[in-house]
Amino acid sequence: MDVLENLFTNIALYARNLLMEWSVSYSVIELVILFLAIIGILGLIVLDALILVWLERKVVGFIQERPGPNRLGPAGFFQTIADTLKLLSKEDVVPRSADRWLFLLAAPIVFVPAIMLYAVIPFGKDMVAVNLNVGLFYCFSIASLGTVSFLMAGWGSRNKYSLLGGMRTVAQMISYEIPLLLSVLGVVMIVGSLNLSDIVSAQRNVWFILIQPVAFVIYFIAATAELNRGPFDLPEGEQELVAGVYTEYSGMRWALFFLAEYTNLVATAALAVTLFFGGWHGPWLPSWMWFFIKVYFLIFIFMLVKWTYPRIRVDHLMHFGWKFLIPLSLVNLVLTGVGIEIYRVMGG
Amino acid sequence: MPRTQELHLNMGPQHPSTHGVFRCLLTLDGETVTQAENHIGYLHRGMEKIAEAKTYPQFIPYTDRIDYLCPMVYNQGYVETIEKIMGLQVPERAEYLRVIMAELSRMASHLLMVATMAIDLASSTGWMYALREREKILDLFEMTCGSRMSVSYMRIGGVSEDLPAEFIPACREFIQQFPAMMHEIHDLLSGNEIFLARTKSIGILPPDMAMAYGITGPNLRASGVSYDVRRAQPYSIYERFTFEVPVRYKGDCFDRYMIRFDEMEESRLIIEQALENLPEGEIKGKVPRMIKIPPGEVYHQVESSKGALGFFLVSDGSNKPYRLHIRGPSFVNMGVFPELIKGWKIQDVISILASLDPVLGEVDR
Amino acid sequence: MYGIGLLKGLKVTLKHFFGQHVTQYYPEERPNLPPRFHGCLTFEPDACIVCGICQNVCPNRAITIKSEKGGEDGKKKILTEYRIDLKYCMFCGLCLEACPKGGLRFTDEFELATYHVEEIGRVLYRKKVEE
Repeated sequence: MDVLENLFTNIALYARNLLMEWSVSYSVIELVILFLAIIGILGLIVLDALILVWLERKVVGFIQERPGPNRLGPAGFFQTIADTLKLLSKEDVVPRSADRWLFLLAAPIVFVPAIMLYAVIPFGKDMVAVNLNVGLFYCFSIASLGTVSFLMAGWGSRNKYSLLGGMRTVAQMISYEIPLLLSVLGVVMIVGSLNLSDIVSAQRNVWFILIQPVAFVIYFIAATAELNRGPFDLPEGEQELVAGVYTEYSGMRWALFFLAEYTNLVATAALAVTLFFGGWHGPWLPSWMWFFIKVYFLIFIFMLVKWTYPRIRVDHLMHFGWKFLIPLSLVNLVLTGVGIEIYRVMGG
Repeated sequence: MPRTQELHLNMGPQHPSTHGVFRCLLTLDGETVTQAENHIGYLHRGMEKIAEAKTYPQFIPYTDRIDYLCPMVYNQGYVETIEKIMGLQVPERAEYLRVIMAELSRMASHLLMVATMAIDLASSTGWMYALREREKILDLFEMTCGSRMSVSYMRIGGVSEDLPAEFIPACREFIQQFPAMMHEIHDLLSGNEIFLARTKSIGILPPDMAMAYGITGPNLRASGVSYDVRRAQPYSIYERFTFEVPVRYKGDCFDRYMIRFDEMEESRLIIEQALENLPEGEIKGKVPRMIKIPPGEVYHQVESSKGALGFFLVSDGSNKPYRLHIRGPSFVNMGVFPELIKGWKIQDVISILASLDPVLGEVDR
Repeated sequence: MYGIGLLKGLKVTLKHFFGQHVTQYYPEERPNLPPRFHGCLTFEPDACIVCGICQNVCPNRAITIKSEKGGEDGKKKILTEYRIDLKYCMFCGLCLEACPKGGLRFTDEFELATYHVEEIGRVLYRKKVEE
């Protein structure tokens, strides 16, 4: 059990010792370890995307009384790989009247913040690539960068559907960032730290979802909107905007958007687990395994919600965000402050 | 100096939720529609002209393909038009079979409307559940006449085949489990707050406007006008059945959606009564082998799932129609669409279109 | 209360998530077709009297009959070829009803797609040419 528990930290330790023996300077060692961590995270992202695409199809299939992909590999597991190969082999079409650079750059740029999020997430005990003391702050500032690429894609495509989709995305993501941030502040107030590892260790005895249930609900809703997932998938808006910002994209560039969506999904779920579900804490199993069990459970809920609800209307979305979620999260924040003060007075 | 500009958006003909190939030229102010224009005809197959080149029975398979979602009623409307001008008597059993099939077809069509409403509001699960129910009706059709969609079931003077032995138990079973299944869809969709926000008070069609545009069928009844051809000008044997003409009063998307459920319930009751009283006997009356119609003209109306369906037939005495005009309810219902969507958001355009439930095959013919 | 409808929806989908599938695994599992199913036509050449009614009654003229004079007195029509062009066939069944001898029948063969448009027509009968 201990071997499994410390599997990844041991690998890092081994690499560190190896480099020490070769008498490499300290800063280089740190760089190499960071590099290893990045490779690990990238591998994780690709693996996650492969699993999630398959899982989403399976989940929606089961909900709709059909088996989902079932032809390639066990239970259709290799379907995603086949699809990826197909997408890779497709022509990279750039519309003639598109703004070439914006159009081409949007897809890679959407992917960068999605990867950067992973740097500060504690996947398990002592398993964090960069133990940043403003980790949470970093997460939200990076996540909001994704908006830019959607605007680039929407504007650069020179397509009216894309433009409408891009405008929707910006409005939606900016207005939902506020409740997202406010909902998390309650947790930060209790812990008194923005460091994600500290937040996890503060939940050793009690998960914050029990203390901050309202904050979790707000976080969940706002995160769904932030991820552009159903019922808030307005930027894509298949039924009215054909494919929204993705309309002109094809082949691997389109797949990058898709990949970024799933990467963000995992990151958001991981953040939710870190903030509300006690991170990697859990009995019996290794810590990182607990972390992923929780993350996947949360992702399952995201999928269930997406495939149950119709899409919300764009102005209702704004009303809901500004007139309901933000006041609610402010009230939650005030109550948390009062609660902390009472706790301090009572508990001494 | 910043300025705003209106945007022309060509919705269709290739668009995921225009129910076929329908093009609507929208003028948008942001996401709000200020002006709209219908462009139809992408699915034009010249049905009325084809009719002039076919003998009377030969046109029956084509009527399936006018409105491919409610083929039985189109069969019925066409054959009854010819029976009306020829003065043919249809055997009792054939009339009952026609009613059963037409009502099943109406249910299938309404189920598809519910399904498309669900998927146009991005709830693909609702679509799957409604289509699963529709499949059961199509199985009943397949059992009886060998085809699921293009049924060609009715013939001049009767129907093509009698019910198979397993039809009646299967149909009864379907009818019995139907309300429970509808309850499930209500749980999933009709009570959902997002769905309600997307449909309630959206695209209100006032009764006077509905009548001015000649809207018929469920869309008219959802606006509070109780008009049903089955009740107003009873054809076939509809006066023998007790059924309500469901009416809802608000005329918004939600009412147009819910009235379909009310109608399915009534159809269910009609089928129950018809199965109860189904007489034995012939299924096809005495019909001359070569059908020739004396010169003259006739207009006959039936209630299709989309509204009043009329066939106007002019005969010159030969074995082919001189002119066959079809009054398609979807075509007429689409006329109000540009008027209805003015001032609503793009997303509402989709839900209004879905709630009007046009079949482009019939709009363009 | 606001939100009850949302929870009800989740209950329905969760119930189905753990429920049975309705999918038919098509190529492995053959569909259970009713006896009246309108698949490809079959034709009994022995019953045919070459009256040509099926040819005339077909709305799309999908049926082509070729015949030659023959028999004992040299006046009887003898069928040489019976061909159905499946790309025009609407599977309406008018020819079946018109046939006075009941020589036409629907089978349950429904996989009629071909790779080339020339292959889609089907010769149901061709007289063997005697050497």
